[in-house]
Amino acid sequence: MGFLQYAAKRIGVYFLVLFIGITITFFVPRLMPTNPIDNYISQMQSRAGQTLTPEATRQLRESLEQLYGLKGSIFTQYVDYLKRIVLHFDFGPSLSSYPRPVSEMVFAALPWTVGLLLTTTVLAWLLGNLIGLIAGYFHNNRAASVLEVLGVVLYPIPYYILALIVILIFAYVWPVFPLAATFPSGGLTFAQFGTILYNSALPAMTLVLAGFGWNILSMKSLAYATKEEPYAVFARLKGTSDWTRMTSYVFRNAMLPQITSLVLSVGTIFSGALLTEILFSYPGLGLLMRTAAGSGDYNLLYGTITMSIIAVASAGLILDLIYPLFDPRIRYR
Amino acid sequence: MNRKTSYLSQLLLFALIALSLSSCFSPNVQNQNNPTTSVGTPRDQTLIVQNFDGKTDNADIMNPLMGNYAIWRGFRELGWGYLWEMNTATGQSYPELADGMPQVLNPQHTLFRVNLKHGIYWSDGVEFTADDVIYTLDTYFKDKSKLTYFGVPVITSYVKSYKQLDRYSFEVETVNPAYDFVTTMGVYTWGSAFNIVPKHVFEKQADIAAFKNTYPVTLGPYTVKSFDPNGYWQLWQRRPDWQRSAWGWMGEPKPKYILYKDFGTEETRTLAFIKNEYDVDTFMSPDSIQAAQAKNPAITTFSPTMPYNDMGDACSYGILMNQEKAPLNNWQVRWALALSLNLQSVGVNALNGQFRASALPMSDTHILRPIYFTPLLPWLESFKLPDGYQPFDPNFATELTGKLKSMGMSDSQLPQGDQAISEAFGLGWWKYDPAEAERLLNSVGIKKNSNGFYTLPDGSVWQPELVIPGDWNKVMERIGFSIGDSWKKAGINVNVRQQDNGQFTTVQNTNSLLTMELNWNSCVFNANYLNSWRSIQPENLLPANSTSSINGNAFRWNNPTVFSLIKSSEQMEENSPQFYENGRSIIQQFIKDMAYINLMNIPTTIPTNSYYWKNFPKQNNYYAAPYTWWSSFKMIVLHIQPTGK
Repeated sequence: MGFLQYAAKRIGVYFLVLFIGITITFFVPRLMPTNPIDNYISQMQSRAGQTLTPEATRQLRESLEQLYGLKGSIFTQYVDYLKRIVLHFDFGPSLSSYPRPVSEMVFAALPWTVGLLLTTTVLAWLLGNLIGLIAGYFHNNRAASVLEVLGVVLYPIPYYILALIVILIFAYVWPVFPLAATFPSGGLTFAQFGTILYNSALPAMTLVLAGFGWNILSMKSLAYATKEEPYAVFARLKGTSDWTRMTSYVFRNAMLPQITSLVLSVGTIFSGALLTEILFSYPGLGLLMRTAAGSGDYNLLYGTITMSIIAVASAGLILDLIYPLFDPRIRYR
Repeated sequence: MNRKTSYLSQLLLFALIALSLSSCFSPNVQNQNNPTTSVGTPRDQTLIVQNFDGKTDNADIMNPLMGNYAIWRGFRELGWGYLWEMNTATGQSYPELADGMPQVLNPQHTLFRVNLKHGIYWSDGVEFTADDVIYTLDTYFKDKSKLTYFGVPVITSYVKSYKQLDRYSFEVETVNPAYDFVTTMGVYTWGSAFNIVPKHVFEKQADIAAFKNTYPVTLGPYTVKSFDPNGYWQLWQRRPDWQRSAWGWMGEPKPKYILYKDFGTEETRTLAFIKNEYDVDTFMSPDSIQAAQAKNPAITTFSPTMPYNDMGDACSYGILMNQEKAPLNNWQVRWALALSLNLQSVGVNALNGQFRASALPMSDTHILRPIYFTPLLPWLESFKLPDGYQPFDPNFATELTGKLKSMGMSDSQLPQGDQAISEAFGLGWWKYDPAEAERLLNSVGIKKNSNGFYTLPDGSVWQPELVIPGDWNKVMERIGFSIGDSWKKAGINVNVRQQDNGQFTTVQNTNSLLTMELNWNSCVFNANYLNSWRSIQPENLLPANSTSSINGNAFRWNNPTVFSLIKSSEQMEENSPQFYENGRSIIQQFIKDMAYINLMNIPTTIPTNSYYWKNFPKQNNYYAAPYTWWSSFKMIVLHIQPTGK
């Protein structure tokens, strides 16, 4: 089977995965014991000081049922939903933020999530693998042991605790960064890039610290094992320099599983980083999902989860298609 | 030391020096002599408050006719104007846009004339007139199927007809006799059903429901200067012509800028508060307040003695029971639950004792106490259950004070004297008497098994469910678990289940899902109890296991005496002696049936920081409720003063 045949089959599987994922996404939230209309009415009751009359409640309920498009059988709603997504990529209005379109909310949050998480994921991967490589290659060196200890210490620290430590050190004791981010009016623009960077530094730092511990430990093990492979030993006996052996022999081979892990991690960034967003008041998809799940906002759940499914499925597809570039031993037959 | 290690050490040293130098140039340090806020305004001219809701998803929607507009960003307090506002210190309405109270034009109390003040202007310079009121009413009726603000169905089911008389007056006819015209067309507690919009702006819109109204034209003395499209902050600026605003006649609002901002989790909020980064918090936990006060003496609570916090919120926490479902359909069971609940222990464990108990189905506030609590006290003290048992404990507050003292609190932290103690902790609550609870339960066939848990007449263990909020309301979460603990000790094998915000209301509104829920279903702010209890009518009852949502009567209470009292109250002036007497009679029925186990006033923990601003409302300086999300905030911005720092 040539590459084209493989790619066609793989893309077919990709679309099948999307279809199954989107279908499950539609039905599962409907099983939640949540009624978005009740949730909205309760908010209104709260604002009305619990004084909404039964007549007003009835009227509001009827209007909302009409506006939210929740009338009709579940199958009819499913077919409409599929049509809207496939033909227009339209998830309808958010039920908790009616009448704001879901796509508007998702695309407003997406650049923040992608910007932060893509940067920190790649950075954590690069830093972690570099440190892990050095720690694994020079495993007899005391400095390398210190680097390994760094990974061992950072990795098990719960993210929440790590974030609070970073906040305490860099925003309170040593106030280099703000305690609470203030992103500029006007949103994500190049003109405001400096301010955005400054306010994103703390969450980014925490994500990198939380992420690179695992990369250090995994790369260290891989590097250590790969260094003892016969071809690496042969290179040493041949008189190849440490640098060439470390990069071209050890890292080149040890990085293969790390590449897989990186691509899959990039796929999952579209789920957002809920804890980060809560702790640092950072806008993103995680909070949107949380709001959607908490308020029974079906449409917003569909939008955010579908983005995530598309991202992870696409990451898997891309990985499958580009893997031969990293591992020339792989060929499609 | 080899070259690599030496290089690494030098690199590390360089990074440390760079970081130290950068901290000297960070905005926080750089502007210590002339501090600015994170949005660029002078700190000493900016009042900064913590958002009530954290983050909003609709930051750019500022249309008050849509329910999900960014309501918690100060629009209600600073941007809009109302015909009549509510004085939170007295519970009395006062005219804001209206020129006096409405004239009642017929004995049926259905026709009203309203005169408007002259000389009030929108922020774009256009005068506010009856044109705006009539246009708003027209819009409410014309677009009621599209507009999602709660007030739209309220007003459209309340108002029968209306007409403009001239530029500054109009008439309204109501569907039914209306004795609550002022609080329906104006403000009752927090909000108003009637949000007046500028005709000259809204009439140009093709679709009102789709109109965002970003950077709105306002009637209040502030306009929106800037906001975060992600919903974390919003900055208001005082209008140069604030005197011509809806409440400019009350005086000059002191802060030139008001910033609503989310300072994140409790931990970061506490740190930011300590660093004087903002001035008023919203519902900070007692532990965090204590930690912040230890580091910054400028941070103070409402009162220097227990319970430290203001207890004037309109709503009270209580246990909602589905009285349609067995065995909760027995008054003996409901009373047994109340008598098995050790409220002293719950309050101490969950709130460090910072609460005010209330046995009546309403908050025990300085407004309601003289009308309902004090007159009913003799009745409460002599009240007996049908078996002769007297359940009321008038010494609850004194006993709680003793308990707190035994836990190590000093006299300086505790109220002194009977009056102060009762104002702090309430006039009393129900006795904690598991033995009497057992007698009551036995009388309906519920008996303890060998494990000490109650069983139903069919022999199965009674496992009632108590739904409590999840971590979206930590205070109630703690109270709920404490209640569960108390009941379990008394032999009631309760299953305490946390529920997320979205499902919480679904449980409240659905008979098939509700057994018991810790909630705040009774919100009586002033003498007018009808706003909260009006829906207690038989037509709002559904079958015990109905899966449909209720539209009212959240108590699921079937009491013909109460139905009749409510109907007759609707024909009375809300400040008349007979109206009050009806209210007391309804309360007595609540208690006889134990239709709702009212627990306590909602503890509103609103600490303030007096580093940049002083003269916030406190117990010894009470001119308004201390809430930044009520009409009281208008009073606050009028009264506070800059410290000069």
